[in-house]
Amino acid sequence: MSVSPLIAQLIEALRCLPGVGPKSAQRMAFQILERDRDGGRRLAAALVEAVERIGHCRDCRTLTEAEVCVLCSRAGRDRSLLCVVESPADVQAVEQSTGFQGLYFVLMGHLSPLDGIGPEELGLDQLAARLDQGEVREMILATNPTVEGEATAHYLGEMARARGIRATRIAHGVPLGGELEYIDGGTLSHAFAGRREL
Amino acid sequence: MSTSLSLLPAFVLHSRPYRDTSLLLEVFSAGQGRVGLVARGARTSRSRQRGLLQPFQPLLLSWSARGELGTLTAVEAAGAPLSLRGHALYSGFYVNELLVRLLHRNDPHPELYPVYGETLTGLMQASEPEPVLRRFELRLLELLGYGLQLERDCAGAELDPESRYDYRPEEGAVPLAPTGQARGVAISGHSLLALRSECLDDAQVCRDARRLTRAALDPHLGAAPLKTRAVLRQLVKVR
Repeated sequence: MSVSPLIAQLIEALRCLPGVGPKSAQRMAFQILERDRDGGRRLAAALVEAVERIGHCRDCRTLTEAEVCVLCSRAGRDRSLLCVVESPADVQAVEQSTGFQGLYFVLMGHLSPLDGIGPEELGLDQLAARLDQGEVREMILATNPTVEGEATAHYLGEMARARGIRATRIAHGVPLGGELEYIDGGTLSHAFAGRREL
Repeated sequence: MSTSLSLLPAFVLHSRPYRDTSLLLEVFSAGQGRVGLVARGARTSRSRQRGLLQPFQPLLLSWSARGELGTLTAVEAAGAPLSLRGHALYSGFYVNELLVRLLHRNDPHPELYPVYGETLTGLMQASEPEPVLRRFELRLLELLGYGLQLERDCAGAELDPESRYDYRPEEGAVPLAPTGQARGVAISGHSLLALRSECLDDAQVCRDARRLTRAALDPHLGAAPLKTRAVLRQLVKVR
């Protein structure tokens, strides 16, 4: 490489980010070095602090630096509703666009038998313990509408049923503003199976 | 050498993330057997392929192959997805893992493709997945050239439903004295004969069949245990 070893190291390090290839990494590195060293310092400090201090919430397992995350510790959330999602990004998506007022549980993945990821690997005993506390009355299964997501939802549903807790699955269907003609068959057949009375 | 294939019937067996936005698919296709394909850009939010590239969805796939991995060029649905639920779904994962583990890439296995389709339909319709799985395992063993010897015992004599046998995958059914210890799988003649005619309705026969197919499959699976088996054991516990 024609750049000095330290610059090469920076470029290489930046490539751990998604969507960053050698070209973009080089642009980022030169931007920081030529024009924004302060920004670079802030980025470095924030990165170090985040990586060192952020762990998982004791209750919902989402990413947080506190022992219990903001949502779990907020008074006024409905503690009888528990929404189960696959990733911290899903928590944000549900928070931003629905009026959901309950609590979350983040699986950090889904059941994937072919990859050897089963209930134990997902740490579902923690969820079982949460359900056993008796606070939760309804568990909303918001895993992704993939085959693995369905397998996960089914398993969680059985867990809830064994404890007499109501389990509901989020609906899948035609996106708003979509046109039936262009929707894939799987979604349309789901939408039909899940139709409801007007 | 590069080949391109157009709209072959196929199923996705397994997929995993590849690079930033792509998927690496294990596909079982009619005519080409198991192939590895890269679906470029299938994980972007605009991709229309991702919804289709799910296991148990009959597909028509086009790809171009150069070396071991092919590149997916077109995807179409070839019918409604087979809606496997609950235990049938987990069984479907098990069938997929068997194929991923036992088939070599690009080995065509033309007879196996319809068997796979029938197995998935069977899992969807049957109340109990076990007999469907055993029938699939028996067919799979046969088509891979490891078929069970269920015609006669190792000495060429007719199987006796009243006798007990020691079934060894490499030798076949060896008559077993009432007090003898089996080196392979101890099994009754009755169960062996029922397996020959694929009558798996009896619970005892089904359990025996499970031990037998497992002993026959294990040597070909190598050292690593089947991951779906371990996961299935945990899944069944909750019921």
